[in-house]
Amino acid sequence: MTAHRMPVQPGEVIDRSDIRRFSWNGRRVSGFGGDTVASALAASGVSVFSRSFKYHRPRGILTADHHDPNLFVQVGDEPNVRAGHRLVEEAMVVEAQNAWPSLRFDLRSANRLVGRFLTPGFYYKTFMGPRPLRPRYQRVLRRFGAGGTVGDAATHVHSQKRYAHPDVLVAGGGPAGMAAAIAAAATGARVLLVEEDHQLGGHLRYAGDATLGLLAELRDVVAATDNIEVLADAVVAGRYDHNWVAVVHRDGAREQLIKARVKCLVVAAGKIERPFVFEGNDLPGVMLSGAVLRLANLWAVAPGSRAVVVTANESGDSVVECLERGGVAVAEVVDLRTTGRRLVRARGRRRVEEVEVTGGRRIEADLLVTAVGWTTATSLLNMAGDRPIYHPAAARFLPGSLPDDVMATGGIVGDGSPDQIIAHGRAIGTEAGRRALRRASELALLTPRALAPSPVPAGEAAEIPHLEPADHPEIFAGPTDGFVDFSEDIRGKDLALAAAEGYDSIELSKRYTTATMGPIQGKLEAVNAVAIHAAATGATIAGTGTTTWRPPYAPVTLGALAGGDDDPVRRSPMHDWHVEHGATPLLAGQWIRPDHYGDPSAEVGNTRTNVGIVDVSPLGKIDLRGADVSRLLEFVLINRWSKLAVGRVRYGAMCAEDGVVLDDGVTARLAEDRYYMTTTSSGAGRVWNWLDEWLQTFFPSWDVRMTAVTDGYAAINVAGPASRRLLERLVEGVDLSRDAFGYLHARTGTVAGVAECILLRIGFTGELSFELHVPAGFGLHVWKSLLDAGADLGVAPFGIEAQRIMRLEKGHLIVGQDTDGLTKANAAALGWAVKTSKPDFAGRPELVWEGESGPERMLVAVQPVDPQLVPPEACQIVDGATIVGRITSSRKSPTLKRGICLALVDAELAGPGTSLAIRLPDGSKAAARVMEHHAHFDPEGERLRG
Amino acid sequence: MLLILCPHCGPRNADEFSFGGELVPRPGPDPGPEAWRNYLYTKENLAGWEGEQWFHLSGCRRFLEVERHTITNEIRSVRDVTEDTA
Amino acid sequence: MTTRGPIARYSAFSLIKQSLTGQRWSRVWRHHDLQPSYDVVIVGGGVHGLATAYYLARNHGITNVAVIEKSYLGSGGSGRNTAIVRSNYLTPEGSAFYDRSIKLYEHLADELNFNVMFEQRGHMTLAHSDSSLRTMHWRAEVNKMAGIDSDVIGPPDIKRLAPAIDVSNRPRYPILGALWHPPGGIVRHDAVVWGYARAADRLGVHIHQQTEVTAIDVTAGAVTGVQTSGGRISTPVVVNCTAGWSSLVSALAGVRLPITTRPLQAAVTEPVQPILNPVVVSGSLHVYLSQTARGELVFGASVDPFSSYSARGSLEFAEGLAGHVLELMPSLSKMRLLRQWSGLCDMTPDFGPIIGMTPVAGFYVDVGWGTYGFKAAPVAGEQTAQLLATGVVPDLIAPFSLDRFGRGDLTAEKGAAAVGH
Repeated sequence: MTAHRMPVQPGEVIDRSDIRRFSWNGRRVSGFGGDTVASALAASGVSVFSRSFKYHRPRGILTADHHDPNLFVQVGDEPNVRAGHRLVEEAMVVEAQNAWPSLRFDLRSANRLVGRFLTPGFYYKTFMGPRPLRPRYQRVLRRFGAGGTVGDAATHVHSQKRYAHPDVLVAGGGPAGMAAAIAAAATGARVLLVEEDHQLGGHLRYAGDATLGLLAELRDVVAATDNIEVLADAVVAGRYDHNWVAVVHRDGAREQLIKARVKCLVVAAGKIERPFVFEGNDLPGVMLSGAVLRLANLWAVAPGSRAVVVTANESGDSVVECLERGGVAVAEVVDLRTTGRRLVRARGRRRVEEVEVTGGRRIEADLLVTAVGWTTATSLLNMAGDRPIYHPAAARFLPGSLPDDVMATGGIVGDGSPDQIIAHGRAIGTEAGRRALRRASELALLTPRALAPSPVPAGEAAEIPHLEPADHPEIFAGPTDGFVDFSEDIRGKDLALAAAEGYDSIELSKRYTTATMGPIQGKLEAVNAVAIHAAATGATIAGTGTTTWRPPYAPVTLGALAGGDDDPVRRSPMHDWHVEHGATPLLAGQWIRPDHYGDPSAEVGNTRTNVGIVDVSPLGKIDLRGADVSRLLEFVLINRWSKLAVGRVRYGAMCAEDGVVLDDGVTARLAEDRYYMTTTSSGAGRVWNWLDEWLQTFFPSWDVRMTAVTDGYAAINVAGPASRRLLERLVEGVDLSRDAFGYLHARTGTVAGVAECILLRIGFTGELSFELHVPAGFGLHVWKSLLDAGADLGVAPFGIEAQRIMRLEKGHLIVGQDTDGLTKANAAALGWAVKTSKPDFAGRPELVWEGESGPERMLVAVQPVDPQLVPPEACQIVDGATIVGRITSSRKSPTLKRGICLALVDAELAGPGTSLAIRLPDGSKAAARVMEHHAHFDPEGERLRG
Repeated sequence: MLLILCPHCGPRNADEFSFGGELVPRPGPDPGPEAWRNYLYTKENLAGWEGEQWFHLSGCRRFLEVERHTITNEIRSVRDVTEDTA
Repeated sequence: MTTRGPIARYSAFSLIKQSLTGQRWSRVWRHHDLQPSYDVVIVGGGVHGLATAYYLARNHGITNVAVIEKSYLGSGGSGRNTAIVRSNYLTPEGSAFYDRSIKLYEHLADELNFNVMFEQRGHMTLAHSDSSLRTMHWRAEVNKMAGIDSDVIGPPDIKRLAPAIDVSNRPRYPILGALWHPPGGIVRHDAVVWGYARAADRLGVHIHQQTEVTAIDVTAGAVTGVQTSGGRISTPVVVNCTAGWSSLVSALAGVRLPITTRPLQAAVTEPVQPILNPVVVSGSLHVYLSQTARGELVFGASVDPFSSYSARGSLEFAEGLAGHVLELMPSLSKMRLLRQWSGLCDMTPDFGPIIGMTPVAGFYVDVGWGTYGFKAAPVAGEQTAQLLATGVVPDLIAPFSLDRFGRGDLTAEKGAAAVGH
């Protein structure tokens, strides 16, 4: 463990007293608290961390942070863990990915031998041979896929999501970000400061001793400021429309999604160091300057023993200092800013062994450090609509123009001393705070009924000092070729070849070569890819432009995105009773309903013979009051409503403007100005909205007050010959006799001591029946009272299945099952209800035309000739090879002891007695005939009128 | 997630609302098939500022007329359908 | 030694030869100057436009054709879809149409000499409710009549074909069954674009990228030409093969369409070792997913809840998607979403495309593909080409004419749209 550990460094983040043991490919290793998996392994002498995607080349530390493309490892059942970021934990099980059978001896590195043939898009040019062999090629190719392993039994982790409403959100906790947060907070704004690393500080943490004091100072002020909330080890994953910002707070594999509506977003994401393209640039031991600074200063790890440093900027210069102080010999410094020597290539087998510079000179070294420039982390700005512009003098892309509610500071806009950067951050923070408070007052002004006034912030826009991007030589590739995209194993010549083949825009090149499409998403390689593509096509970098950065900025676990969100479950007040009495549950939308209590046929038999009760609480229920309710009903329902007498109830169907049946149900007139509408269970919300839409957009002056009372009433249908006798024992204040309370009448009264109940004489089952709508809190009481009071009458509950059987015996349609998205009222056999004499109602023109031309299809009752046959629902009705209809509902009728159906058939086949051929799932055909009546049972309706 | 400034409820996330599409006037009684089916089916589908209807389903349940830019998703006005333009 | 031309034909042999000799590949398609006139101008350099151009040239010998693309080839829906192909549609006309498309896809690699990597891993549509299971049966019955391999399977078969799926009673909406369609699968979408473009180019079609159509000239009810950012083209025939902009392009010719444009979002995860073979769809949960040969899981959902020409992704899409995927496969919770994007879908009232003639003579449309455009491209191109060449509407596309809306004669695919993809 100590082999590569340097003496105590002033800025180190490890706790040397906290020793953590873990395993790496089955080998026992250890690190300190504060170590990343990569730093601990590097300290233990590990230099090869992974095998590359295509050629299975050994790969080592490149950047030593979250975005290092070479440090993807498997941790337990978690794939693709960033070893450059994940902290070591006691007993962690870490394994290399993409290496089989082992990291040291990777069989698939045979790919390297044929590597020269694996030019970009090689798979488009071959593997086309005999078609029967293609699945085999495909299976072989898949085995070479990259990435870790997910087992079928991997554990499911998630955290509940959180919302945040900061005035200012600062993405990036480096010096500029911290300064911006402090200044924004000083304006009174509430600030959320998000830092991807484990501590605030950005590059100040590892830039050397000189800035550690400044870092401590900034951290102290942030910590002492009440209205700054700091989230470290968190990343701003995306900026979406209207400044909706996704923040992901990491905790190992468990990540929490924080959704923030931000008034002003400050992006201080800094710069990402670019790799250099040359032969051997992917050898373990070739590192970017940032990696060396991080390894040495944060974790006191010596990245090598003898180094060559190739530098074009201050970061490279500071590496020289850092290495020398840490006791690493610097064999050679190649300064690219001065004319003269250039880096040619690195050589080595499993790690750098020697470095060749111009003139053929070879230098023995196990570490090659490059510092050749930066990529600006403009991803979040792009998501806000910005198109970054290339600045040749700075050799990097810089932000173009930003919307008012997004600002940028720090390395993303320019360079400078820490003081200059902090001054810029401060000014941006002040302005962001001002804009956020201005936005708050704007929102209050625009919605005065909802929000209290918020003062307009005083003062002018803050003056933002200029942060000049430092001049930097344009260096992307050396005289030899190397890897541009480490995740995808794409070399410079691959990009040139693609351009020569005609994939001559950067987007086409990206798609064809897959450069920038790997797990790093172009953070390291995008600018190099653009530069090499530009050179190959003879275009400028500015003219070539960059590919679009898409969210998320850094990958996010599905567990975090899913959170604990779940669809709500709706249960009737009698739900527990059903469960206790052995009901089989049926999922119906959000509702859980009793399908049956053991034997649906017996439930039908009992209901037809004695009396049954069914829980129909999920029915949609709407209370309508006002002088104009009947006008509304006339408009939204296809039939007549103006003459419905008080105390009467009527069936009604509703069509959309295209004439297609939307919903159906019954509506009762309970008083002069009071109606009670029921809808289908699934249509409850839709109908409520539909009525509201017409009222608000078309008839705003009408006097209609509407309340959805679906959850306010429990509903029980009491059906069967003995239903009246049963209710007579429980109902007070309502004369239940046939003459006083006939079919299609409605009453209000007291049931089992519960006042204000609504009683409807309707019969979906075809039996004498009363539907009781009782205040929901008393639903269970009334349900139990019915069962207690009717024991001697044989009362028993029945479920949805028995209800469906009985309604089918009666030929009652179910909207959405016996109709589809094209079935208009006439086709649904509701032509009798369509009153085209009404001057206007929803869907009228289409129904007029459908009535004139006749429907194309018609809903009919059908019985198979063979009484034992029950053709499954959705069987097609055929005429030879042509489909002429389908079975929409079918059941074995326990009452009739035969198969019965509803079917939608071509209109010319709808006549009673027509013979039909039903194609069964096994391909055989069965004869059936169209019935005279929709009701298979009691077509005259004597029972329900009883 | 768009932010819609409901005149009744204040700034609310768009997932509280249901989108009703571009505003299309309903023909008068007894329209011909062409006028009626234009109303049912034909859309301007503008790329730019569009007058459209949103329903504050999980809020005040009011129908709102919203002017939204269909490329940028910027919203420049919201009013209750029963109220005159301010 | 003679100078050799670039290598034109793709094969393992030519790949090796190129690698060893450094001999150049011929350009995948060539650059041409815009000609003052073409017999046919196709607007939209996506997979529909390029397929139409290819079949015009190959099947009908019409080669004086220009494909005009405002950006780069395949920059619209062609490169943004989730590359799923299937033919188990609800209606006989839909099934027949897409079945033809699958047949064309099966032979496309050989025909175009470009490996489009059609992997027929099977397509599974899960049902979580009685009503969706009924729709699956309905589709299976219609498909079987058309001779399409399609049937309803139960949870044990689902588990066998896709072990990562949780078929227990744990989920909020347990899985009751699935429609299983073995010929369905995934294709490398960009390869289809490039393969058609390369083959059309070889046959003489001119491809003009970075060229935008700014006006369509119509005189006395007939097309006479198009104005482009690169100059005017005189032509009697213009075909609108765009998606996302089809209303706007048609409006240039004065033709209004029953289309609203909605974003459709998709996302991809980091790669992992193979865990899912077939394409899995859940209509009830609005999600579909497949694993690419590279190991990434590709996800799609239903179209956004409001219309927009913005192709930016939304967070709520990613959240809903992840929630639904984990409902189906809870073991994926530690996988990471890598990238999300969106494309524009032109939705019609009945979810059927609009393909064929318009009231303006010489102005044709191949639009309104909703979320089905990619899987339809070969057959749509083939049939559109036939219509242009013969002037007779082929049977396969007759149900999808623009005038059906005026007649109120919508396609029945509307009935099952919710369980699509």
